[in-house]
Parts: sequence; structure tokens; C-alpha cells
Amino acid sequence: MKNFFSSPLVKRVGAMVALWATVTVMTGPPGNPAQPTLGFTSSFTERVSFFGLFPTPRGVLFAALGLILAGIVVLYRRILHTPVQRAKASIVPTYQSISAKRSVRGSWYAAALVVAIMLPHVVTDPFWQSAMVSQIAIYTLLAIGLNVVVGFAGLLDLGFVAFYAIGAYVTAWVTGALPIGAPFHHVIDPFWAIPIAIVFVMIAGVLLGVPTLRLRGDYLAIVTLGFGEIITLFANNLYGITGGSTGSGEIPHFVFHVGNLKYLWGLNPVPYYYLTLGFVVLFLIIFSRLEHSRVGRAWIAIREDEVAAESLGVNPLKYKVMAFAIGAASAGFAGVMTAGQSFFINPATFTLSFSINILVLVIFGGMGSIMGVVIGSLLVQTVSMYLIHTPPAGFQNSDLYIYLGALLIAMMIFRPAGLWPSKRRRREIALVESGEEKDQRIVMTQTGEEL
Amino acid sequence: MSTPLYDVTNVTLRFGGVTSLNNVSMHHNRGEILAVIGPNGAGKTSLFNSLTGVYAPQEGTIVFDRDGSSPLSVIGKKPHRVSAAGVARTFQASRMFPAMTAFENVKIGAESHRGFGVIGAMVKGPSTRRHERETDERTWELLRFVGLEQQANVISNSLNYGARRRLEIARGLATNPTVLLLDEPAAGTNPSEKVELTELIRRVRDEMGVSILLIEHDMKLVMSLAERLYVLNFGSVIAEGTPEEIRANPDVIEAYLGSSDAGNEGAH
Repeated sequence: MKNFFSSPLVKRVGAMVALWATVTVMTGPPGNPAQPTLGFTSSFTERVSFFGLFPTPRGVLFAALGLILAGIVVLYRRILHTPVQRAKASIVPTYQSISAKRSVRGSWYAAALVVAIMLPHVVTDPFWQSAMVSQIAIYTLLAIGLNVVVGFAGLLDLGFVAFYAIGAYVTAWVTGALPIGAPFHHVIDPFWAIPIAIVFVMIAGVLLGVPTLRLRGDYLAIVTLGFGEIITLFANNLYGITGGSTGSGEIPHFVFHVGNLKYLWGLNPVPYYYLTLGFVVLFLIIFSRLEHSRVGRAWIAIREDEVAAESLGVNPLKYKVMAFAIGAASAGFAGVMTAGQSFFINPATFTLSFSINILVLVIFGGMGSIMGVVIGSLLVQTVSMYLIHTPPAGFQNSDLYIYLGALLIAMMIFRPAGLWPSKRRRREIALVESGEEKDQRIVMTQTGEEL
Repeated sequence: MSTPLYDVTNVTLRFGGVTSLNNVSMHHNRGEILAVIGPNGAGKTSLFNSLTGVYAPQEGTIVFDRDGSSPLSVIGKKPHRVSAAGVARTFQASRMFPAMTAFENVKIGAESHRGFGVIGAMVKGPSTRRHERETDERTWELLRFVGLEQQANVISNSLNYGARRRLEIARGLATNPTVLLLDEPAAGTNPSEKVELTELIRRVRDEMGVSILLIEHDMKLVMSLAERLYVLNFGSVIAEGTPEEIRANPDVIEAYLGSSDAGNEGAH
């Protein structure tokens, strides 16, 4: 029996059915306390148009979508996927991890989490309560996402704001706040927009990544810069879809409403703070696990020597696209939060300077170091907010970028690896500065050109 | 065992107007230590890069057959696909991941063919942990095999030349290859390291059953190690045979041994 449930086919079919049920309920009508089951049953039975052809229950529509998707996946595997080769492993003594150090670090993290949870009870000033969500927590989330792209995979992305914008606009779209009208035949709560937006943003990351990630270094930076601008221009000019420069209509607040359970996020920023904090912690766990997994090691290998990585069977394009999509996912979530909290979005928020601002947080904290980036974002954003809230004589809000620029230059001179760099980054930068790596590169070019 | 491991037929590789490989044909038998020699610029590294998918020759065919029943046409395949098919290589100027430890360098090779694993890495379930343990064991096994167990946690950039060469071999072996391509493994090593390296290469073949294709300038090493040789000059194969035959071949003596490198050989 156990074998039956752990067989790949059963697992896969089970996952498909679970996904189908989740998506159907998620996009269905909200629940009703008087009739707790109605939210579930009507999600499946509500009659909708089958791809504009004929009316059919929603459950059938999503099952059809799922089958099409599964078909694409199967086709992809048959045609494009190479057989996975299994390395044989014989029994030898195992690698021992340093567990004592880990528990000390764990208690620091727990303490930081407790402080973060208590914070809204200590800080009661409305400006700071709101800033904690919209300027600090969300920026931290964006920074740790960009860190995956820039720090782990070593890809300079200057258009990160695009994913943030897509996340926000998808939220506005599914909640019916855009002129184009809502999908799924009725409006969805912004809370359910989180997974939808993340899926859309990841697709955008893959679509941008596949053609552009063959480029390296400066060229990639320019293309991503262009992508950021394109998305902003779309938002500004597609009046019929995005509402143009006036932005979206009113985006409802977050509501969690399935069956009998209901929670409404209102005007008070504190519940948003906890929601964002929860997702920051979730993303932190996911990203640090990725960093120490073979995915993270593959990113480092590609960053350090792409040709050698390729010769060992690491597919650089796949892993780069993956970094793009994963980084984008956290930006997409940040976009949803922004849309849900501020209940109105317009293209003026999604500018190049926003992308640069996030990049500053990553570089200041230490590229490739998750904790460094978190600390960097907290510091820079708190100081920025302090300057805006209680400006010194002669300070204007737009001056902020002068100081951020100066900070970046100072960091590059005195502490190029960032405030709290990862050990590996520090080593890499030391190697580049000592010129050893440079020498090696010169030899390599000679090798490549040897005829 | 009938078909050769590598079957190269009439391969021509050009860069603009320069012909790097000119109508090269060769084959690599299973379990053989094969060497390719030739003066600088003869096209040896170009041949390696063509065999591993880095370069795509304009003419000819390269067929790699892992087990005698799954021929793979290498030309046009990406290097990571060729690696997955069972080809491992080292580089002329050793290309370690400089800021990684020796252990991590080998581990990358040991886990690269295990597919994607993003979800596995996020959830960190029992199967991910088991894979992790298996690759760790495999990595230790290989570090022990090349004698770098003590230096497992040393940053690869601070290893000496001989150790880097051995580490590169371990990293290549970690991908579980059928054939290992060594691009001048003895370059920059001292005489005692050379002896160790010769020993190691022979053990790779004898104990791991991995065939070896070798490019080397050090004639003493090549002649003692290789069972068969190809000699390249100006992109063409000018001779093929056992070390004794090659030593006696007048074309080879003129093109290679007789000219600049004859004195070099005497120096060792």
C-alpha cells in the first residue's frame, strides 16, 4: 500500500488533483458564514463559459486547463528532456556538519523574530507603523529577491521593478480594479491574488530570461534596464488595459474568506505588517535553503566559471532562468502587498530609480549574503524614512538619492563586499583584487584561441 | 565492446579563414589510454573542445557511444549534454571554482546530473537529504581516491598546482563518466608530482574503468602512459600508432620530436 502511494504516477496525479481543487476554490466566489459549504461547492458548480465556447461548470474548465498543462509537460519531457543519470554511491563514512554553531545562530534568529513580532506594539507612531510595511518590510522582501539574482547567480538586473509592477498590476487585474475587467468571471480577493501574481511574475521572469540570459555582464544589465522601462511604458500607455497614468481603480483590502473562516485586513497597517513579516520569513527560509542546496552551488559554479560548470553538466541557462524566476517571485509578492495595502497603484511608483534603490540595499548589505541584505535593507530604509519623516534643515525628499549614491560610492571604496558579506563573496573579491583570477582569465583566453 | 567509444570522422573546424582541424579522423577504443600529441598550435585543444561540445565543427561527424548501444552525435550538443552522456574533462589552465573548497568543487560534479530539485531544495524532504548524503559520500570517496582528503576544506585557489590537477580529475570523475579527457594534466607540475599524476591516471583507468584521452607535452609521461597515440600537426593527423611506432616514425620526428621539443625531452 505504501508503495502504491509513493509511486511517481500516483504522486503526480495526486498533486494535479490537489492543484486543481485549490485553484478552483481559490478563484471561486467567497464563502458565506450562513452556509459554510457553499463557498466550496459553488466554486466547482458555478457555470462559466468554456473558453468562450459553451457554458460549463468551473470544475470542468479547470480540469481541462490542467489536462492541457499536463500534456505540455509530458511533451516537453518526451522531446526535450535528457534522461537523468544516477550517480552510484557506495557506503563510506559521512560528512559531519557543524551543528553546535548552527544552534547558536538559530537562537539569534529566534530573538530577531521575537523583536520583529513585538515591534508594532512598541512603535505606535502611525507614520512609522505604515513605513514599517510599505517602506521597510516590502523593501526587505524585494532586496532578498534581487539578492538571489544578483548575489547568488551573479546576474546584474537593473529592471527588477518590472516584476514588482507586474505583481501589483496582476492584483489590480484579478480584483477588477483595471479597465480591462477581472478574469475568472468574477472578482477575487487580493489575498488569493498572491499565488496568481507569483505565477504570472515567474512566467514573466522565464519569458524575459530565456532569450536574454545568453548575454553576459553589461549586456544583460542593459536588456533588463530596457525591460523595466518597457513595463513602465506599457503601464503608462495602455489606457484600455492598465488605466494609463491615472492608474488603477480602487483595489479592495485583503480578505481571507473560505467557508466559515473570514479575516479582513482594513486600514490599520499592523495586520499587513504581520502578513508581510510572515512572507519575509518564508522567503528567507526558502532562499537560505536554496543557497545551501545543489541549486545554490550550481549558481555559484556558474558565477565563478561558467565554462567549467558547463563541462560538469550544469546547464547555465536553466539555472540562470531559475534564479530570475525565483527572484521575481518575491518581487511579485511585494507587488501584491503594495497593491493590497495602498488600494491604488499608478505607473509613477515603478521607475528606474526604484530598481536602483533595491540594488543599493543589496550592495550595501553584501551581495550573496541573505542576512547582510536583510540588515542592509533595514538600516538604509530606516535612515531614509527618518530623513523623510524628520528632515534636517535644507533636506528635501529628492535629495535622498544623492545620499544613497554617495553611500554606494563610499561602500565600493572602503568595503566592496558589503556591510556583512558572505564568506565566499569576500574570497572572490579578494581574488579579483589580488589579480590572481585576472591572470587565470588571460591564460584562459589564450587557451580558447589556441588554434 | 565492438564499437569504439569515440568515433571521429573527417572533422574540419574553421575560425573564419583559419582551419584549426583539417579532416581529422580518429577513434578511441573502450578502456584505452589514448594520447594526442603535437606541437603548440597543432589543434589539440580545438579537438578537445570539439569532442566536448564547446566548438561545433563545420564538417564531419563525432559519435560518442557510452555503452555500445546509445550513440550520441556530439556536434551541436551543448557541453552540459555531452557531460550528461558520460564525458568528463579537465582544462589546460586548470579551471577550478576558485573561491570554493576542494570538497565543494568535487560535489558540484557529483550532483550536477541529478536534475533540478528546486522544490526538493525548498522543502528539504527525506529524499533530498538522502541525495545530499549520497553525494557527500561520493565526494569523500573521490577525494580519498586522488589523495586530497586532508585538504577537503581548503579553498581550491590556495592549493598547489599538483593538487589542483588531482582535484580537477576528481571533479571530472564525480560526474560518473565513461571517458575522461585530460588537457595537459602535467603542465606546471614538478617531477615528483608528475610521477604521482602518472600513477593516478593509470589508477583511474584500472580501478574505475574510465577510458582516458590525454593531451600532453611531456613526452616521457605520454610515452610511459599511452597505449596508442595520434600525432597532430597544423590541424591534421600525421601519424597514429603505439609509442614505439610513433618514436620511429620519420614524419613525427621531423614535425615534432626532431625539431624544438627534442631538446626539451632530453632535459627531463
